[in-house]
Amino acid sequence: MTPRSRWHPWAMLAPTLVLLVVFFIVPIGVAAYESFFSWDLLTPPRFVGAANYRALLAHGELLRVAWRTLGYSAIVVSGTMSLGLALALLVDRPGPFMAFVRASVFSAYIVSWVAVALLWMWMLDGESGVVGGLLRALRGPGAPSSSVLGDPRWALVALATVGVWKLVGYAMIIFLAELQSIPRSLLEAAALDGAGSWSRFRHVTLPLLMPTAAFVATTTLVTSFQAFDVVRIMTQGGPARATELFVYAIYEQIFLDLSVGRASALTIMFFVMLVALAALQLRVWRGHARGAS
Amino acid sequence: MTSRRQLLRGLGALALVGCRRERPVYEGGRIVVTFWYAFGDSARKVLLELVARYNASQDRVRIDAVHQGDYFEALAKLRSALAAGTAPTLSHVVCEVLPYLARAGVLEPLDACDGVDDIPFIPALDQRGAFAGARDEPRVSVPFNRSTPIAFANGDHLAEARVAAPGTWDELVEVAHRLTRPSRGGDVRWGFGAPISWWYWAAMVGQGGGRLVEADGRVSLGGSAGEEAIRFWQRLVQTERVMRPPPGRDYQAWQSQSESFLRGGVAMMWSTTAYVRYLEGAARFPVVAAPLPRRVRASVPTGGTMFVLMRAAPAEEKRAAWDFVRWMCRDEQTIAWSTRTGYMPVTRTAVQRLEAEGWYRAHPNDRVAYDQLADVDPWPWAPDLFRVERDIVEPRLEDAVLSGRDAHALMDEARDEARRPA
Repeated sequence: MTPRSRWHPWAMLAPTLVLLVVFFIVPIGVAAYESFFSWDLLTPPRFVGAANYRALLAHGELLRVAWRTLGYSAIVVSGTMSLGLALALLVDRPGPFMAFVRASVFSAYIVSWVAVALLWMWMLDGESGVVGGLLRALRGPGAPSSSVLGDPRWALVALATVGVWKLVGYAMIIFLAELQSIPRSLLEAAALDGAGSWSRFRHVTLPLLMPTAAFVATTTLVTSFQAFDVVRIMTQGGPARATELFVYAIYEQIFLDLSVGRASALTIMFFVMLVALAALQLRVWRGHARGAS
Repeated sequence: MTSRRQLLRGLGALALVGCRRERPVYEGGRIVVTFWYAFGDSARKVLLELVARYNASQDRVRIDAVHQGDYFEALAKLRSALAAGTAPTLSHVVCEVLPYLARAGVLEPLDACDGVDDIPFIPALDQRGAFAGARDEPRVSVPFNRSTPIAFANGDHLAEARVAAPGTWDELVEVAHRLTRPSRGGDVRWGFGAPISWWYWAAMVGQGGGRLVEADGRVSLGGSAGEEAIRFWQRLVQTERVMRPPPGRDYQAWQSQSESFLRGGVAMMWSTTAYVRYLEGAARFPVVAAPLPRRVRASVPTGGTMFVLMRAAPAEEKRAAWDFVRWMCRDEQTIAWSTRTGYMPVTRTAVQRLEAEGWYRAHPNDRVAYDQLADVDPWPWAPDLFRVERDIVEPRLEDAVLSGRDAHALMDEARDEARRPA
């Protein structure tokens, strides 16, 4: 289709472009500008050059936050995908009981993060929580805290596990939909050729699930990078900053520690990290696409 | 189409009105004062009752009380609203942030307010007594819900172990050992508990003879006293194993500890005078309050919040807000507030009335809290105090106790960061 005027495509794109500029490009530009100032919102800003970046790098804060966020995301994405796929394979059967199991697992996904966080706080409580009591017994008397949420070695893993619990239903449903769209004839043909159940899964099902897996990985990765509610409610970034992820660190810098410049510098570094990850992901996908063609 | 345009115009006007108000808001002929508060549970209930009583007591002013989460959430919202020009007329803020807000020029000076000098505030709880070096600063706050750290013990556990509440750090270790014991199901009943928090650490710095900020303005964080305080906690948690490991951060830690105390999981804890009514009401055992122990001397900081008025609010609203604040400082309200919540009565006349009415004889735990005011160490009037608390010291305390990091190195790092401009 050829546009009647060369402005028509721009007119069509305008609403999206306006939203993109107003809510994304301008804020990023403002954050980049603010990152060169020391400002507490209430007193006049003071130009400090790259001091905010230097401070983030000098204390190792930036690296620590980045590693923590990547670690959290790695657990959430890998846990959600593997458990989601396993559950999808398990419940890909007819009958009311399996329908009940599917609905039960998926129900966690539709509950708000706040409710999930509160629920798990109680369950993980070291003294009165069902899961917390069990974990305390497993961790033994050397544990520095009565609760996993108070233990810097385990708090992040606990939060990521809660993330997996919440998101696994979503992954399961997406995988299930794709599993049910795989033509039975392919699997039957493979079985006739002598392929066992593992071979059928490895060489027929899994390759056909790859685009879905990429979609689940991307959406889960995005969700994990946005983690805030669960941190805010369950740990407030503690203990000893062990669960301070990027978004929470930015919130804490700007709203609790009165430092707009430092928060803006963190925002820019977070943006750079996301762009780098997106570029890496794109490269991997293109590589896969070329391989497939 | 016309109605859509009207709607948009209306929304635009509302947005403008919401952004920066120059004229006061009236409703039914009464001026409306928005008051942001930061209490939950019973304190919230008592406050709302008092606000309703004030609103019913006259027909000129209506206080519109709006809940804004806990102290730190409310403060975050207040700062954002101040920057956006949408702050309420009246709020209350933690003491440590007052010097910063005063320097930023966002608080209304109250020296000229009608009758402010006639209110007989208890000096240790008032701005000029609660801060060192604030004598010449304009008054920007009035005490509201004020507290100090205090020790609470399970009376049954004390009697069972035949010990009294400890008066010194050494006694604390000994008593905590006597109170710590395995209980059913392999759980431990901890002898002692305290949130790993700036407030208790500041108390221990004073007890060790240190100061957070020296007379010349240098941030010393108590010098060796600050380090000793950390070592003491490390010893109680990791070496002696008589202190409940820290359960989390901010008010989550306080709540978790109170629940554990009420369940019998902790025999003795440091908490706040503000919890006295809640603990007495919820415990199935006698709750015994005691002053915090001393090391080289007795010392406690003050806590809680102060009323503040926003400078940018319309003058009529500020006058109306001050009328409410002054009403809250009258003996009837001060007594109702303090006796029903556990916060300290903030005026001398209220305390005299409570004495005369036999309140302290009937409630010895309140007496302990009031007597402890003699040991109050004022906060330094330092605009960086809040940043030092939240950004520099508080996260390091947790780190030190949980990971056992060297207290001297940790405090050196904190002092370096405190001296660097924000």
